Amino acid sequence: MAMSDNRYDAIVIGAGHNGLTAAATLAAAGKSVCVLERSDRIGGMSRSVDLGGATAPEIAHLLYNLNPTVVRDLGLGTKVPLVTKILPTVCLSPDRNHVLFAQGEATFANGAVHPDAAAFGLLHGRLTRFAALLGQMADGPPPALAGGVLDAGTLKEMAALGKLGWGLKRLGKTEMREFLRVILSNAYDLILDEISDGPLAGALAADAVRGAHAGPRSPGTVFSLMYRLGNGGEAHLPIGGMGAVAAAFETAARNRGVAIRTGVRIDHIIVAADRVQGVLLEDGTTIHADAILSSAGPAQTMQIAGVANFDIEAVRRVRNLRHKGTVAKINLLLDAAPVFPGLTREQTAGRLIVAPSATYVERAFNPAKYGEMSQDLVIEAVHPSLSDPSLTPPGLHLMSAVVSYAPFALTGGWTDAARAELLARTVRTLDIFAPGIGGSIRESQVLSPADIADLTGAPGGHWHHVEMGIDQILTVRPANLISRYAFGIGGLYLCGASAHPGGDVMGAAGRNAALQTLKDGVLGA
Amino acid sequence: MKRTTKTPPKPVPLGLIETPFYARLNALSRAKSWVGWAGYISPVVLDTVEFEYFAIRNQATLYDISPMHKYRIAGPDALAMLNRLVTRDIAKLRNGRVGYAMWCDEEGKLIDDGTVFRFGDTDFRLCCQEPMFGWLLDSAWGFDVDIQDESDVIAALSLQGPTSWSVLKDAGFAAVESMKPFDWREVEPDIWISRTGFTGDLGYELWVPAAKALRLWDRLWDAGDHWGLRAIGFAAVDLCRIEAGFVAAGIDFQPVHKAVRLHRGRTPIELGFGRMVDFDKGHFNGRRALLKQGGKGQRHALVRIDVAGFKPADGALIYHRKKKEVGFVTSGVWSPTTKRNIALAELNAPFGIEITDDLWAEIYVNQEGKWDKRLVPVTLQTGPFFINDRARATPPRAF
Repeated sequence: MAMSDNRYDAIVIGAGHNGLTAAATLAAAGKSVCVLERSDRIGGMSRSVDLGGATAPEIAHLLYNLNPTVVRDLGLGTKVPLVTKILPTVCLSPDRNHVLFAQGEATFANGAVHPDAAAFGLLHGRLTRFAALLGQMADGPPPALAGGVLDAGTLKEMAALGKLGWGLKRLGKTEMREFLRVILSNAYDLILDEISDGPLAGALAADAVRGAHAGPRSPGTVFSLMYRLGNGGEAHLPIGGMGAVAAAFETAARNRGVAIRTGVRIDHIIVAADRVQGVLLEDGTTIHADAILSSAGPAQTMQIAGVANFDIEAVRRVRNLRHKGTVAKINLLLDAAPVFPGLTREQTAGRLIVAPSATYVERAFNPAKYGEMSQDLVIEAVHPSLSDPSLTPPGLHLMSAVVSYAPFALTGGWTDAARAELLARTVRTLDIFAPGIGGSIRESQVLSPADIADLTGAPGGHWHHVEMGIDQILTVRPANLISRYAFGIGGLYLCGASAHPGGDVMGAAGRNAALQTLKDGVLGA
Repeated sequence: MKRTTKTPPKPVPLGLIETPFYARLNALSRAKSWVGWAGYISPVVLDTVEFEYFAIRNQATLYDISPMHKYRIAGPDALAMLNRLVTRDIAKLRNGRVGYAMWCDEEGKLIDDGTVFRFGDTDFRLCCQEPMFGWLLDSAWGFDVDIQDESDVIAALSLQGPTSWSVLKDAGFAAVESMKPFDWREVEPDIWISRTGFTGDLGYELWVPAAKALRLWDRLWDAGDHWGLRAIGFAAVDLCRIEAGFVAAGIDFQPVHKAVRLHRGRTPIELGFGRMVDFDKGHFNGRRALLKQGGKGQRHALVRIDVAGFKPADGALIYHRKKKEVGFVTSGVWSPTTKRNIALAELNAPFGIEITDDLWAEIYVNQEGKWDKRLVPVTLQTGPFFINDRARATPPRAF
């Protein structure tokens, strides 16, 4: 192949939503971009998978945090079709007196007034306001303030910080104090200070820690709860399946002229004179580029770029990143519509949370610390086919469940028997709320964190690639001195969930990384 | 990368421990003046500093350097791992050669300096002042290399002085005759000799397994009487290393991993070792920071100075035009051989780089309870204070 065929301004590693967003952003600035994807499918964690003829969400099943700026820039939902439906949250109760909440309002599923409704409304409203303030930080690199007060870039960063400070100030003295009081605190105390422990508190606690190696009593979980509420906190179900999300990102990228190659294995990144030159593929092909943006994890990126090209401290920080995945993904194909006594069919189509109390969630975390899966699981389940019947063959239904806690480093490893055991425990837990559901399972699919790591490359099978802990966010995400996308070697950038602002199907990390690459001038004017 | 221990663990001794040569040193020690060196008992002086100093410059001396930290770095990626660690190009260090090396943190600040001994294509020893095992393990991650801490299992003696070759010859090590400075070889099974040292004089360093240490000592001692061989302590070596212009960790620079306060670290360039930094060899730790700092990023300059008068200037402040304080002496001695008052001093840039004249040292002298202050002129000096061609002559001369 002629060399010119294999020269691009930039190469993006990984065709997940962040990689595609980075590619589309660079292409929109007139750069030629090639996305290289290891697997044969595009979309990373936002893909669909076939399950007995049904279109199931392979890993992620809801959108919470799709970044509005990314949506606007990529034209998602306008120029590029993406239709979503907001789902209410259903907090399942073993006594079938389930609780419902949407847009900060909680009631019992049967319409009765919930005694904690007012307190919940206040708490939810406050957290959402706080989250919106922090959300301002998502659309750019974290501040560095390295240039001194006479540096234009630093002044701009200080202005952004000033805006955050001003926003805090405008909350009023009481609210500002409250923000500062709770920001580093744990979700369990915050929630139970306001509402009594039960399914409503449990659902909030579960939302605070989903995907994390943390229980609601772990420090920093108020922050992770706010992170989830960063864009209002509503859960959006993509119509057409999760693959529609991947397709929307892919279309946005392709419309801008991005080349996407799947099934491509990179042998290594070619480096000369401390600058990236391109990549050598395992099949011997060389692709040249002036910049490489990697949505793979920091350690994987270091390894393909050559550990010797990084400073020892940087390698040590990356080795010590926390990314213990704790959630498994289970898809069930049901041969009858699911029945949850106490819920209408409309309510059953909501986001169902199995977390009867905050204490239950904390206890469920305990075994995970010691490499065991929880006996009593915390589950977030949706029935996509109830909202979008086109996803399943007639008469069949789909349940997609995010199951905690299932630690990446399970004692004994993730064998078929371990997966079967997790499935059995999941069905046993669901059976409390939907008696007999086990009998209607036609097909099932279990992805452990180890499977998710294999499928997507996510370190530790962690949904955010790097745990969203207070020590691994903002200026220290993924680690100190590598928080502004540039990654050691000239022209190399991190653009995935491990970079600021972090994980979830959000796209902001990809966009920010691409903008930083353009700003640094490695691709010329 | 695992440290392997063959003997069962012994109880950890309290306090300083004895080196493999301690029995001989203790028997010879009249001064009973000891200092802790990396956890070992080490002599400051065994007899008198004057005797020992002049023995280095006129006879031959044995100094126990067993407390030095020694690390074996071996494996297919040993060269690549070392080249990413240190600032010079180790690929240019041939088998059987020894090279001085410096290594920096990610900010380009010196962690430590030391010597790299190349056994073969994939086998090295790093010898240095500061404990470095943890840092080496960090450095080795991602490389196919095995790191062993040999500090406790390899004993070492520094044989320095104009008659040191004669001592070796009479001790049966005539094979070292053809060795050039910085050569090193296994002269007998388990005895490695390098033509290296810390005195700027003719000298050798001998490396043996700890169990064979005393046998080596006795062999040298028996051969040495005729050549004026003396055992010496640190104080005399320190005089000689300043004469030779060598820097010492913790004295002339602060090893950055040990420094607690901000901005105590210094780059090799600031210490006057720009020639030790090879920007063209590929990435090494701190390279990007050092490049970014460039020439104008040099905030300090460690310089050799000649100080007027004869009062040692250790710790003296340096002034420009007798008014502006611009630095201080890190090591200052009266040099008995050159008959000069010499020192190493750290000056704040641009002093010592662009501005080198009108510098003054403020020396405080305590004369039997009465303090006196002297402001004396300072002259910058390039090259070592002590230099003698016997140090480099190959074959070496008898004395």
